[in-house]
Amino acid sequence: MSLPERTFTILVAALGGEGGGMLADWLMHAARACGYPAQATSIPGVAQRTGATTYYLEIFAAQRELLGGREPVMSLAPSPGNVDVMVASELIEAGRAMQNGYVTPERTVLIASTHRIYATVEKMQMADGRFASERVLEAARQLAQRSVLFDMRQLAQDSGTVINAVLLGAMAGSGALPLPREACEAAIRSSGTGAEASLRGFAAGYDIAAGARQAPEAAPQALPLETADILALGEARLRDYQGTAYAALFRERVATLGQADAELIGEVGRQLALWMSYEDIIRVADLKTRASRFERVRREVGAKDDEPVVVIDYLKPGVEEVASLLPPALGRRLRAWAERRGKLDAWNVGLHVKTSGVSGYLLVRSLAWLKPWRPHSLRYAEEQALIERWLAAVRTAAPRSTALALEIAQCATLLKGYGETHRRGRSNFLAILDALVDKPASADAAAQAAAIRKARAAALADPEQKALEKTLGRPVTWLRAENTR
Amino acid sequence: MERSFKEEVAKLTLGDGEVFHGEGILAVTKALLQSGVSYVGGYQGAPVSHMMDVLNDARDIMDDLGVHIETNASEAGAAAMLGASINYPLRGAVTFKSTVGTNVASDALSNLASAGVKGGALIVLGEDYGEGASIIQERSHAFAMKSQIWLLDPRPNLPKIVEMVEHGFALSEASSSPVMLELRIRACHVQGSFTAKKNRAARYSTRNLLQDPDFDFGRISLPPSTYAQEKHKIEVRWPAAVQYIREHQLNEVFPGEREDIGILCQGGMYNATIRALQQLELADVFGASRIPIYCMNVTYPLVPEEIVQFCAGKRAVLVIEEGQPAYLEDAILATLRRHDVNGVKVHGKDLLPMAGEYTGEVVVTGVAKFVDAGVALAAIVAAKKKAAELFGTLLPTRPPGFCVGCPERPVFAAMKLVEKDVGKYHVSADIGCHTFSTLPPFNIGHTVLGYGLGLASNSAVNTMFGKRTVTIMGDGGFWHNGLTSGVANAVFNKGDGILVIMKNGYSSATGTQELPSSPQHSEHKAADMSIERALGGLGVDWMRTVNTYHVGEMKETLKEAMATGKQGLKVIIADGECQLERQRRVRPETANKLAAGKRVVRVKYGVDEDTCTGDHSCIRLSGCPTLTVKDNPDPLRRDPVATVIEGCVGCGLCGENAHAAVLCPSFYRAEVIQNPTLWDRAMRSLRSAWIAA
Repeated sequence: MSLPERTFTILVAALGGEGGGMLADWLMHAARACGYPAQATSIPGVAQRTGATTYYLEIFAAQRELLGGREPVMSLAPSPGNVDVMVASELIEAGRAMQNGYVTPERTVLIASTHRIYATVEKMQMADGRFASERVLEAARQLAQRSVLFDMRQLAQDSGTVINAVLLGAMAGSGALPLPREACEAAIRSSGTGAEASLRGFAAGYDIAAGARQAPEAAPQALPLETADILALGEARLRDYQGTAYAALFRERVATLGQADAELIGEVGRQLALWMSYEDIIRVADLKTRASRFERVRREVGAKDDEPVVVIDYLKPGVEEVASLLPPALGRRLRAWAERRGKLDAWNVGLHVKTSGVSGYLLVRSLAWLKPWRPHSLRYAEEQALIERWLAAVRTAAPRSTALALEIAQCATLLKGYGETHRRGRSNFLAILDALVDKPASADAAAQAAAIRKARAAALADPEQKALEKTLGRPVTWLRAENTR
Repeated sequence: MERSFKEEVAKLTLGDGEVFHGEGILAVTKALLQSGVSYVGGYQGAPVSHMMDVLNDARDIMDDLGVHIETNASEAGAAAMLGASINYPLRGAVTFKSTVGTNVASDALSNLASAGVKGGALIVLGEDYGEGASIIQERSHAFAMKSQIWLLDPRPNLPKIVEMVEHGFALSEASSSPVMLELRIRACHVQGSFTAKKNRAARYSTRNLLQDPDFDFGRISLPPSTYAQEKHKIEVRWPAAVQYIREHQLNEVFPGEREDIGILCQGGMYNATIRALQQLELADVFGASRIPIYCMNVTYPLVPEEIVQFCAGKRAVLVIEEGQPAYLEDAILATLRRHDVNGVKVHGKDLLPMAGEYTGEVVVTGVAKFVDAGVALAAIVAAKKKAAELFGTLLPTRPPGFCVGCPERPVFAAMKLVEKDVGKYHVSADIGCHTFSTLPPFNIGHTVLGYGLGLASNSAVNTMFGKRTVTIMGDGGFWHNGLTSGVANAVFNKGDGILVIMKNGYSSATGTQELPSSPQHSEHKAADMSIERALGGLGVDWMRTVNTYHVGEMKETLKEAMATGKQGLKVIIADGECQLERQRRVRPETANKLAAGKRVVRVKYGVDEDTCTGDHSCIRLSGCPTLTVKDNPDPLRRDPVATVIEGCVGCGLCGENAHAAVLCPSFYRAEVIQNPTLWDRAMRSLRSAWIAA
C-alpha cells in the first residue's frame, strides 16, 4: 500500500460552549483506533466565553506500523489552501473561514450548519443589523469543492443532542473523512454520558450528508406583501385596535393618496397601520391579557402540558403614561409640570405583575378596558395630529417624485419603542421632518430624497444621536430623564 | 473548577513504556514527575491553567511522591518559590502565562538568576501570543536575555517537549541557572502521544526532609556578592550552558540537498516551517526537506559554533523567528560577522513580517519569497479575494463576552444607566472576565494597566476630573495585587475614588479556580478569607455590598458614591456568584430533584413579540447570548424583534434592565412549575377558568 503524500487536515470553527473540544476528541479517538497518527490543537483561551474559536486536526491515514518508525510532521495551525474538511457550527463562522482562505475549490469539503447565532454587533443595532445569510451560502457554493449545508442545530435539537454529534455525522456521511463510520461511532460510545443521544444525532447528520435523508426544511422566506394585502391586514389590525370607525379612518387616510404609485400606497399603508396602532398602555395591557398570549408563552418556554406556568410582567408606568391617558389639556399640564422639574421618568412605579394570576390579570385587563376612552386621550390627539402632518408631506411630495414620497413615508420607522426610546425616535422623526421635508436645502427631489435617506440611516446609527446631529448639522433636542438642562 | 481532570490524573501515573495520549501541557506535567521534582507552583492563566488544575486534582499522587503543590498568590510568588532551589538540590517548577506573568515575576526571577541555583529550576511559560491570546503582544525572549535565564523553545510535538523538560532540569543544574520552557498556545493544547517513563521520587521531598539549612552569602543579592554573581554568570554559567546544549545536541540540524541555502528556525516554528515547505513541494510528509534546517530548540543562549557551521558556505539563509524585536536574527548576523562568515545573505524580517503571529499563511508566504516560489500562492490569494468580493464587507466579529447569566453584566448595565443620569465618567478597568465590558455593547473602561492594577491606574486620573471616577477590579485581581497596590495605596494616599469589586468567587476567566474568598474551599485551602474584612482592616469605611442583579440598586449606589461628601476610597462590592460555577452546582441538583419527582420551578425570561417594536435598546444594555433577535412575525413590521432563546438561566437581568432603564413592557418572567403539586394544579385550573372568562 502506498502512503498518502500529505496529512489530512480538518479545521473546525465553533463557538464557545458548543462541544467543539469533544468533537476534536472524538476524531482523535477514531483516528487512534484506526492506528493512524493524528494530532489536534485548539486555541480555547477566553474564547470559551461565547466567542468564536477553532480546533485544528491532522490525520495521517496510514497505519503506524507501515511507517517504519517515521513520524509525519503535522502543523499546529491551518494554512489557507490546505484544508481538506472545513467544519463550521454556525453560518457566519463558515463565512469567516472563507474570508480567511480556508475554503478552496481545489480541495475543501465544507460542512456547515446554516443556522445563525447573531453576534452582538449585529443584534444591538437599532434597526436590522443582521448579515445576509444568502451571501455566505452563495460564497460556499462558489468556493468549496463540495459542501454539506443544512440547519444542524435544528437537527441536534430534534435528536435531543448537541450540534457536535450532528457535525461529526455530517463529516462522516459526506464521505470526505478518512475514518470509517464505525470508528466515529465507537469514539462517541466511549465518551460515556449522553452517548445514545449523540449517536442519534450522528446518524441523522450522517444520513443527510450521505443523501439518504432529506435535510429539515428551512423556514420559507416571507414574500413581500402585495399592497392590497397590506391594506387588508392594516384594516383588520385597526378594527381590533379601536373598532370599525377607526379602521375606516385608516382606509380614508390611504385613499387621500389618490392614484399614487402602488408601492408607495403599500408603504404608507404599512407605516400608517403600525402608527395608528401605537403601543400605549391600553394596547399593551390588551395584548398581554389575551389567551393566545399565554399559549405563546407556554410554547416559548417549552412548558409541558401538565406544567403550570406563572407569567410575571415587568411594567413601569410613570408620569408620561398617566399624562398620555388624560384629556389633552390636563395631560399637557401634567407633563409640562413634570418636565419643568426634570421628573418625567422619576416617579415610575416598577411593578412585577403576576398576569397569570387572578388579581394580576384583573389589574392589567382593567387597563385594556379603557379602550373606549382612548380617543379622548392626549396621546391620541398628538399621534393623530402628527400622522396628518406626515401624511400631508407624503401627499405633497408624491406628484413631484414617488421616490421622495417613499422616503418621507419610511421616516415613520423611526417611531418605535417606549418611554425614552420613543421620545428619542420621535425627536429624530421631527428633526428630519423640520429640516429636510418642510425646508429642504435643495429643490431637486432626488437630492432631497437622498438627504432624507441618509438622515434616516444616521438616526438609526447610534442611540446618542451623534450621527444624526452630524448629518443635519444641528443638535437634535429632546427630553431626557434628568439631565435635560 | 471549570474542568475535572480525573482521567488526566490517571495519566500522571503511567510507567515505563506506557503510552501517554493527551494535551501538551499535561505532558509537561507528567515530564516534571519523570524528572523528580520536589515542588511545583504557579499562577493560573491560559494557556497553562490546566497544569495547576490537574496537579490540584492529583494531590494524592503528589503526596505519595512527596511533591509540594502550591497555587501561588501571583506569578511573583511562584517565581520566588523557586528560591528553594538556590541553596538546596531540589528540583522545582513553576508555571504562568507570559509575558504578563513573567512581568509580574521578574523581580524574583532577576534575583533567582543572579543567585544561581543548585537544584534544577524550570519555569514553564504559556506564551500567550497570536490568535487566541488575551494579553498584550510581547515575547518572553527579553527576560531570558536580561537575566541569563536559558530559554527552551522545543519543536511542538509531545516527545520533544517532554525530552526538553527533562533536559531543562539537567541544563539548569549543569549551568546553575534557571531555565524557561516556552510553549505557545497551540503547543499547550496540542493532543498527541509520547512513551512515558515512570515517575521519580526526588532525593529531598516532603517525605524525605532536608536537615541542614545552608548559608552562603555568595547567594545573597547584596554587593559584593552581586558583582561576583554577574561575573559568574558570564564566565562560568553561560559557557557551561552552551557546552551542555552542544554536547546533548539540543538544537537539531536536518540536512537537505540544497547546500546553497538554509533555514534557521525557532523550535516552536519548526512544524510551521515544514508545512510551508510541504506546500511548496520542498519537503515530504515526514519532514524530509530539500532545504537544510537548523532548528533551535534552545533560543537562548545561542551556540555560535553551530550557527557558523550551518551557515558557512551558503549563499543565503532565512531566519524564521516569531515576534519582535528580531533578537535571533540580529544575534545570528552579529555571530556570522564576528566569525568572518560574510558571504551569506541573512534573510528574516525582510521577507517575513516583523510583528504578529507566524500563522501557516505568513510562514508559507515568507518561505515562498525566500525560494522565489510566490506563484504557488496564487490559489490562496484568489480564494480570499473571491470571498471578500462575495461578502462585500467584513463579516461581523465575534469576540468572547460575558456568559449567559453572568453576574458581572448587570453591573455594566447599571454603569450605562448612571452615565445617562450624570454624564460620561472615567472608568479604570482591570484584567478579568469584566474586561469584556470594553467590548460592545457596553464599551465601558478607558484603560487596562495590568492584573489587579485597576485602582493603582486610577490614582492620578482621579485627581484630574471634577467628578469622581470609577475603578473596576475582580476578586482575582484583588488578591493578586489589588489589595496592596490598589486599596492600601489609595487609603494611604487618601484617594477619593470609587472602587467596584466584582466578587464572583472564583478566578473565572482562567477556568474558575479557587480564590482566598471563594464561597467554598477544597480541604487543602484555608477557609473563610474575606474581602470585606480585608478592606475593613485597611481602614475602608465606606463600603456597600450590592447584589449584582439588582440593577436599580447598583445604579443608586454608584450615584451615591459619586455624590457623597465623604472623602476617601468608596468601595462597592458587586456580589454575585460566577454563573458557570453556579450552574455546575445547580444543574445536577435540579436533575436529581426532577428525577425524584420533587417540585422544581424553572425560570425563563421572554419577550412578547407583539409589543416589542424592534429598537433593541434592551440588547444594548445586556449583550446576553440568549437575548437575541429573530425575524419579526408581524408581516407589517420589518425590523427583527428581540427574543430570549434556549439556554436562558433566568438570571433576571432582562427584567431588571427593563425596570431600571424604563425600557419597555415586553419582558416577562415565566416560572414553569415542574412536577406540580395538587395545589399548583388547582391554582392553575382556577386561573385558567378566570382568564378564559
